Amino acid sequence: MNVKPIFHIHLPQAITALLLLATLLPVHATWIEPPLRTEKGYPVPQPDVMPDIPAAHGAHREYAIEWWYWIGHLESPDGREHFGFQSTVFRLAGDPEKAGGKEEGNPLGNRQLFMSHAALTDVRRKTFYHSERIYREGWQAEAEVGRLGLRVGPIRATELPDGTGFRLETNYENDGQLRLELRPTKPLIRFGERGLSRKGADPAAVSWYWTYTRMEAKGALIRNGREIPLQGTVWMDHEISSSQLGSDLEGWDWTCMKLDDGTEVKAYRLRRKDGTSDPWSKVYWIDRDAGVRSVYADQFSWEENSFWTSPETGLSYPTRVTVRATDPRDGRERAYTLRPLVENQEFIGNDGGNPYWEGACEVLNERGEKIGIAYLELAGFGGDLSTRLN
Amino acid sequence: MSEPKTALHLIVTCTLRHWRISWPGYLLLLLIVAVGVGAFNGIRQASRAASANFGLFNEAVSGRSDFLIEARSGAMPASLLAELTGLAGVPDWHLLPVIEGSLTLIDETGEPVQQVRLVGLDLIAVGNLPAFNEQGLSFADDDAEWYQRIGPESGIWITETLAEKSQLARGDQLAFVAGGRRDSVLIAGVLGEPNQGMPDDLIVADLPAVQRILGREGLLDRVEVLLTDRIARVDPKVISGVEQRLKSGLPEALVLRPAEERAAQRASMTEAFRLNLLILSLIAILVGAYLILQALDAAVVRRRNETATLRSLGVSARVLFATSLSEALLIGIIGSFAGIGVGFMLAHGAVHLLADTVNALYFATSAEAIQLTSDDWILGLSLGIAFSFLAGLLPARDAMETPPAQILARGDWSPGFNWLRRPAPALALAGIGLLCLLLPPPTMAGGSKMAIGGFLAAGSWIMAAALLSGQSLVVLAKICRPLGQGPVWRIAISRLGDGSSRHRLAVAGLVVAVGMVTGMLQMVGSFRGTIENWFDVRFQADLYVSERGSSGAGNTNGIVPDIMARLVAAPEVEFADTLYLRKVDAPVGSTQLAGIDFAAWQTRISQIWLKPPGSLQPVEGAQPALISEAFGRRFGVLEGGSVTLQTARGPRAVSPIGVFADYGNEFGTAAIATETWQEWTGGERPINTSLHLVEGSDLNEVRDRLRLEFPGLDIRNGRELRTLALGIFEQTFKVTTALNGIGLTVALAGLLLGLLAIFQESARSWQTLGYLGFPRKQLVLAAGIEGAGIALAAWLSGTLLGLVLGWLLIAVVNVQSFGWTLLWQIPFPALLTFGAALTLVGFVCGVVSGSWWFLKNQK
Repeated sequence: MNVKPIFHIHLPQAITALLLLATLLPVHATWIEPPLRTEKGYPVPQPDVMPDIPAAHGAHREYAIEWWYWIGHLESPDGREHFGFQSTVFRLAGDPEKAGGKEEGNPLGNRQLFMSHAALTDVRRKTFYHSERIYREGWQAEAEVGRLGLRVGPIRATELPDGTGFRLETNYENDGQLRLELRPTKPLIRFGERGLSRKGADPAAVSWYWTYTRMEAKGALIRNGREIPLQGTVWMDHEISSSQLGSDLEGWDWTCMKLDDGTEVKAYRLRRKDGTSDPWSKVYWIDRDAGVRSVYADQFSWEENSFWTSPETGLSYPTRVTVRATDPRDGRERAYTLRPLVENQEFIGNDGGNPYWEGACEVLNERGEKIGIAYLELAGFGGDLSTRLN
Repeated sequence: MSEPKTALHLIVTCTLRHWRISWPGYLLLLLIVAVGVGAFNGIRQASRAASANFGLFNEAVSGRSDFLIEARSGAMPASLLAELTGLAGVPDWHLLPVIEGSLTLIDETGEPVQQVRLVGLDLIAVGNLPAFNEQGLSFADDDAEWYQRIGPESGIWITETLAEKSQLARGDQLAFVAGGRRDSVLIAGVLGEPNQGMPDDLIVADLPAVQRILGREGLLDRVEVLLTDRIARVDPKVISGVEQRLKSGLPEALVLRPAEERAAQRASMTEAFRLNLLILSLIAILVGAYLILQALDAAVVRRRNETATLRSLGVSARVLFATSLSEALLIGIIGSFAGIGVGFMLAHGAVHLLADTVNALYFATSAEAIQLTSDDWILGLSLGIAFSFLAGLLPARDAMETPPAQILARGDWSPGFNWLRRPAPALALAGIGLLCLLLPPPTMAGGSKMAIGGFLAAGSWIMAAALLSGQSLVVLAKICRPLGQGPVWRIAISRLGDGSSRHRLAVAGLVVAVGMVTGMLQMVGSFRGTIENWFDVRFQADLYVSERGSSGAGNTNGIVPDIMARLVAAPEVEFADTLYLRKVDAPVGSTQLAGIDFAAWQTRISQIWLKPPGSLQPVEGAQPALISEAFGRRFGVLEGGSVTLQTARGPRAVSPIGVFADYGNEFGTAAIATETWQEWTGGERPINTSLHLVEGSDLNEVRDRLRLEFPGLDIRNGRELRTLALGIFEQTFKVTTALNGIGLTVALAGLLLGLLAIFQESARSWQTLGYLGFPRKQLVLAAGIEGAGIALAAWLSGTLLGLVLGWLLIAVVNVQSFGWTLLWQIPFPALLTFGAALTLVGFVCGVVSGSWWFLKNQK
């Protein structure tokens, strides 16, 4: 079947790529001053801007691309229920001359585009639900400016009244709903030099990229009319940029791990068309006290242990992987093996194009002992992604 | 040999041998059955395809919806979408706002080329819909940013079918007229692939762009709800649960309806229309059955020697009965199978005629592809076979009663329908018909009424007339005898005067068709005469203005108010009679609420008043209204009372103070003062206006000047309006005329068959006359006169029947089904011409069949 995407840029991959590329450049790289605006006229994130929290959690309408991303593991108090979830909202600015100003009361605006990706993995029952929605700004989607206030199809996110965190609500099929209150247990991390993540040599290829690597989550899942109380930890990303990608990458593998020792590990591998890993691929360690250290591609390996083949798309994903990296803190090599908790966590978009695998995993050490939980994303296994990204 | 085996053997050896020998006659018979079944099935398929598209034109792009969210009456303000945000966040369904309108595409000279439906959708959200993605549709192109493809200033997408048909391509400017305005818009893309079957009258654009094009900023027609899980939608439990959830999240101003309800509502609007057509389409099959009976009976006569011999050889009467009946069944089966194909072809021919009629009278529709369903097969075959079976029963009985050869040799046994000579059954049927008239018409779901009693009476009287028609042959022969001299005349007249059952049967077959045709001719003629009379009284203004290109009930956007204001402000305009119209829900089905200059209608506007204004006392608390006759009959307020209508402002009661004749629609119209209409409906767009010019104005000069000034409006003088209206009228009767034609053709083919049978039966007489020295020419001429006599007798009886049917159609069926009284007019010239033509055709049939008989017997 000749399936065409509605628009020639596929948002989640583009923005995920943006996220990954945002952290590519080494901190010691030559500083490139970003221009004030891109060629199209969108403003470019500037250095040394400390996010004004909580206002910075709101939308930055005039910037071309922005996204909010939550993933996490949740369990019932008795430990019988275990869910993984992904709730992501993407925003894409329209005409650079008009995008900044909101048309109040217009239910069908054309200045901003939004997309939601909602996924829920039921670890106990081995089921996976996912939905994608794309909307224009208006009655079905909007993002507030000056504070977190998202309403995009099935996903809603607001600040808690006491300012200590966020409320996240995600609707699922059959009247299902996940309601969470999220409170950061570690400070916000800004990736990149001078608070600016550089994506490439293009001076405009920079972003603001902020993450809460560990948030305490409390709430409930309404399912089949039953309320299941849940608690767990959640990872949240928020990135703002105005540059598009122009790379030769074919896809990427990305993970964030929450380890039992109170630290987190983020790792990604950019896969080139020739099969090699891009040198900007990287591993981060985030300490208990939010200290961050990292190594590049030459200091870690990404091993594909086994594959899962999708019955729907026929694509094979390396869902069991081992990341081996030398921790700069003590010079010791560490190995993290990711094992999916459910094999089928393939996210297929509305138009069937650009499927990807993103799901809940557990982390094992070299002795095969569980040392944490993780989320793993495997993108670009359905063909050349770079052509779709531009 | 067992009896079934014997019967089978006889079919193979005898029946099929006769078929081989007399193949033209049997071929004609098969064709008659095929046309009969085909006419019925074709009309069924065509009317289904013509009105199956119940106005949800967006389905071609978005897929079938499950529920509709609508305003209680009229358009829905887009601002109400904000109150649906709670429902919008549920992934179990997709919410799709829709606005619809019509555009009249025009050429370089401004002349209308084609009318198309313009559908406004959210071109971003539509990408979430499974059906949209499965079809591989896309609104993207290569050189525009997404934000340029949406919004009020964006272009439109045409379907591949329209692009190909009209030689249009992406980047072209499409010139159109809508809402009285002339404009053009960029074709941003072409939707679908060649042969994907997208409608050729569909244009899609972003919703705000359609609002701008139609001048309906801030308005929607509905929000469609499409379930995400398309498998679950067939589960009533799921549907019911979803309905409850949707209703609980709906604001007070909006209502939720299952999409099927709307489809049913639309279907019910055309129910009476479609049923009338279906009944009409049965004529051909009825006449066909009559002809089978006639032909098989003739076969029994022809084969009586053979049958008698078989009896002598010990073949039982039961076997002969089964063999004869099997022949009828065989004709039915083969003819019906062919009829399915004929019907399919006829449906293709009729579907656009029907779609145009539905468009003009009921709602906007576009013909869908003709589909041959299993129901069509079952119904077509059952009908054809059942009628053939019934028609074969009497001849089979005759075959069974044929005496053995030795008895036959002694006497002149001939089967025949003695019952055709007995008037009692016919008179009984006529009486039953009278009783049927007392049946009240049942109300259909859409509020229209079905004149069941009228149709049953018509059926009874047709059968009664067929039975009695033989008498006319005898009477006619008596009258004609002294009119001519010579052996040819005497032979022909004496044969007619005998009134053999064969002759009577031939007349009866033709009488049914003639009666129906005559009845319909009267009804159409009376309708036309009434409309012309209505026009003469009602339309006395100088110029008539409407939205350009709107051709019927479903294609009207309404004229933009500021254009109307400019128009009526023209210095030559002394007075404008402006009409506002809105469909509203009534206690049963829907009706039309009109906004008029209430005072002017009671004083200066001419109407055919059935009850003049003021002759009825309005009910206190209800809005005084002038109502149409159809409204009065539907809601039982011809003598006063009140009817509660569901308006945008809630329920409002109207009470008639006068009743006017209106032949525009069968759902009725209640006309109230424009100010009240605007308040009740929230509408502001008039449908049309009639301009009365200042005395001394040059009518055509003003018309031409206004046409130049308002290129989006249709401005006509009285004569032009009359031509247009009668054109629409003719359009609506095209299918009726076609069906009449089919019925008549079948009957004439039957006449030919009947005459052949008569000559076959009279073989001995012809031979004797031949021996006596009668030249063949004279015998052929006698056959011609015999044929003409049968046709004339059929015409006389048929016309009498037709007059009764005409009265029935006009005074009972029309009043009950449509609620309007027609002036009964008998189109004497047309009837006489028809009679002359029929007699001539009868003569030709006689000559042809006589010649054929001689040709065959010479061999």
